[in-house]
This record gives sequence, structure tokens and C-alpha cells, in this order.
Amino acid sequence: MSAPGRWARWVSFVQEREPADTLALLRICLGLAVIGTISTVVAHDLVAFLWLDAANGGYRETVTPGFLYGLIGVTPTTVWGGVILGLVAGLFVTIGLGGRLPAFVALKAIQELTDLNGSAGGSYDALLTNALWLLVLSDATRTLSMDCYHRSGRFRDDTPVLAIPRRLFLFQLVLVYWSTGAQKVSNYWTPFGGFSALYYILQQPTWHRADMTWVAWIYPLTQVMTAAVWLFELGAPLLLLGLWARSWPEGRLAALSRRLPLRGMFALFGLGMHLGIEALMNVGPFSFISMSYYLALLQPEEARAAWARLTRGVSSRAPAG
Amino acid sequence: MERLKANLLALFVAAHLLAITLQALPAPGGGMSRSTWKDPTVQAEFDAWRVRLNGWGWEGTTAELEERLWDFARDFMDRRDQVLTPFRPYYLHAGTTQAWRMFVAPHRFPARLELEVKEGDDWRLVYKERDAEATWRARWLDHDRVRSLIFRFSWRPYRKQYELFVRRLAKEAALDFPEATSFRARFYKYQTLTPEAARAGEAPSGRYVESITVSLRSTP
Repeated sequence: MSAPGRWARWVSFVQEREPADTLALLRICLGLAVIGTISTVVAHDLVAFLWLDAANGGYRETVTPGFLYGLIGVTPTTVWGGVILGLVAGLFVTIGLGGRLPAFVALKAIQELTDLNGSAGGSYDALLTNALWLLVLSDATRTLSMDCYHRSGRFRDDTPVLAIPRRLFLFQLVLVYWSTGAQKVSNYWTPFGGFSALYYILQQPTWHRADMTWVAWIYPLTQVMTAAVWLFELGAPLLLLGLWARSWPEGRLAALSRRLPLRGMFALFGLGMHLGIEALMNVGPFSFISMSYYLALLQPEEARAAWARLTRGVSSRAPAG
Repeated sequence: MERLKANLLALFVAAHLLAITLQALPAPGGGMSRSTWKDPTVQAEFDAWRVRLNGWGWEGTTAELEERLWDFARDFMDRRDQVLTPFRPYYLHAGTTQAWRMFVAPHRFPARLELEVKEGDDWRLVYKERDAEATWRARWLDHDRVRSLIFRFSWRPYRKQYELFVRRLAKEAALDFPEATSFRARFYKYQTLTPEAARAGEAPSGRYVESITVSLRSTP
């Protein structure tokens, strides 16, 4: 195919539309992630300690701010203002009120607050801001939102929206896995180190929830999991290749990708991995944010069915009357 | 007009994909520190790779391998910086930074923070990472963001921040332990046990490093 032909196909691909149910579920989970990320710092009385200078309860003589705090200054008022703004924006994102603006405000709040102390955070902050940016780019309040209710008097709107933001979520998820897998160059992640990385990582006191000496008795299982995690991360792009191959008219790869439950296999291993991490380690909101990305695997009709099951489950548990 | 909008959107999406992919390419990032490379965990990695490369015909020492890697990494980071420069405003304003260096290697020589107060002539342990009994200020110190800080403090480049952190905690200790005369922070650095050693019931052995003592008595 010629270059103009490829470009035309790309433009057409970017213009594809689908109902917004998946994006709505992503929006709800990410709004909750914003609230959780900020509120645990508040609940642990760490706002001043982490994000302010020594004169205001912090431990550092001076705080090096990011872009916005560089403009408005780092004071208790501006930092607490950022905290409150972030929490309110997180709530608005969750309930879908205010269009794309709350997602951008939440993004900036998380980014600016965590930039105040870059040593006190992790990849989950970037994972969250990347996701919020995709919400800014998407029409994620189209359905299952207060905006939808205000617009139509109903909480559901089947008007199709651009599918590309959901696909970008999926690409981001795959990119995260591939990137982290490609950087696992330690001997311990490879056959040369006996696939012992997970065992030794679980012996580090920083992240674990409780003493992990017992893992020595299931060492072979940790070796299998080390190899599986490493291969899963490095091989994550195969998911995108497989999903793309399904649209090919013919060929062995196309046939194989149509036969295999690619999304299900990916979700089963990936979600299992994150649940395992969450059970054994305290890595903050990392697992919740990562698992939220998995919603992008759902086709809108599947997201709708999941939402219906969830709301049916909640309403059937609610007390009568 | 619609066609122009569609083309511009497609261009933007392509640029976004390029920007985030370029930044996600493997890079040492914050690991570009000579003192960090001297940590026993990192040195053991170099040595393991040196043994392997020797087996594949490369003749060189661990120190030579480290030098070559340092030069390569420095050049790579310089070029990476040049390539990423046009995208910096996008990363900054859209929050699309990508640094997915997660558990890239197990830390075989971790350091466990211990905090003590001196009462009379004796030191009393008040906080120890992941300890069930020494839990002073665990509400702060066990939070995931503070865990991240403490992990970094055992590495040389963070020494200054570590000192400030200890001095801040000493202020809290002075309030919580009015009888105490001194506050001490130090890391117990040890090699994690192999599975065989753990099953045999051995205990990890190590040594205390990065000890900082702060007087809790106001200076005359």
C-alpha cells in the first residue's frame, strides 16, 4: 500500500467510533484513584511533611516546585489548595460532572503535588497522570455521568464517541509492560540468574507487607512466576499485534489470533499478577491504577454488561424500602 | 473542514504515540550515579555479566565492563536528551512522563531503617521498618510514599535529604520522648538470604551504615 493510502487508513482508524461505556468505567475508576492517591496522604497526616518546607512542617529546607507551583509559590495555602482542588476534581471525574476539565485539573493537581517531592512517589503517579490525559482527550462523560443526566435526563447515552482514546489506554498499558520488561536486565530476571528475581524482590523490606521468609519454601514457584512475568512483560506487544492480525483477511497469524482468547489470556495473567503484588506488597495505588487500565480491554458492549451486573448486584443487596 | 480536523487528529495521535514510545525506551535515568554503581548489589550485577561475557569470549574485567557501560550510558543519555527535547513541553503540560523502571533488579543488599532514642545510658529502638513492635510514627513511616523516600535514603546521592529527614523526625522524638537525650537513625545493610539459607533457618548478617545522631537537648 502507498504512503497516502496508509495515511488515509490511519485517519479512518482514528475516526472510528463506538459507545462510550468502556471510557465511562475507566473514568469512574480513575476518579476514584485520584481521590485515593491524595486522600491517603491527608489521612496519614503527611501533606506538610512531604510537600512543604521545614518552616511549615516539612523535612526539607526548601522545596523545588514544578511548573505551576513555581508560578504561585509553595505555601501551606497553595499546597492545601492543590489538595482540595485535586480531591474535588477526582470526585467530579468519578461522577462525570464538568466534561473534560475536571480530568485536567486532577492531572495537574497530582502532577504538581507529587512534583513537590519527586523522591516520595513512584511510577503510579505517572501511570495516573498519563491516564488522566487520555480522559482529557476523550468524551468520557458521554454516558454514565452527571453530564449525561443534565443533557438528556438519563444516565445513559448511546451516542458513539471516538474509539481512539480507549485504544490509547490499551497502547499505554502495553507500553508500560514492554518498557519495564525491557529494563529488567538484571541477572536475576534471566535464566542465568536462575529466574530468582521475584524471590529476592520479596525479601526486600521496603515494599513487603509482612515477613516473606516463607517464600523460600515455594522457591520453584517464584522461579516459574519470574519467568512468566518477564515473558509476559516483554511479550505484551503481541497483544496489539494479535488484535490487529484479527483484521487481516487471511494468513496463519490471522487465523490463530481469531482462535485465541487474546484479551482474556492477557487479562487473566495481568490481573492475577497485580492481585498478587497487592496481596504481598504495599505499592500504594499502583495495583488499582494498573488494573483500571485493563478496562480498556473491554468492548463497549462488554463494559455495558459488566456495569449492568455490578449495578444489579448493588441494588439486589440494598435493603428493601 | 471535517477532513482537515480528521487529519489533524490523526497527526496528533501519531505524535502522541511517538512521544510516549520514545520516552519509554529503556534508559538508566536516575541510576546514572557513580556512587550508586558502587553499591554491592550493582557491583554483583556487573560481575555476573562479566562472567557471562568472559564465557562468550570477551576478555575483560568487571572494572572494564563498568567503565564501558558508563561511557555507553552517558552517551546514550546525551543522545536521548537531544531526541526528547522537542517533546519536553508535551511531557510537562500533558503529564505524559514515562519512566517504567519498576523492580528492574532485586536489591540483594537492602538497608532497613532503625530509629532509636537514648534514655539514660541506653538506646531504645522505637522504629524499625516492617517490625511489628517498634512502630513509632509508623503512620508516617509506613506510608508507601515515605517507604519510597526511605528506600532512596540508603543510597549515597540522597545523603543530604536523609539528614534533613532525620532532623525533622528528631523534632517529633523530642516531643514524644521527653526523657530522651539523643535520637539516632541508621540503616542495617545486609545481604538477603538465598532460599537454601532461609530454609536452613539462618539469619541475615550485615552491618550498620549511614548512622546519624541528633541531640535532643537544646544547645546552651
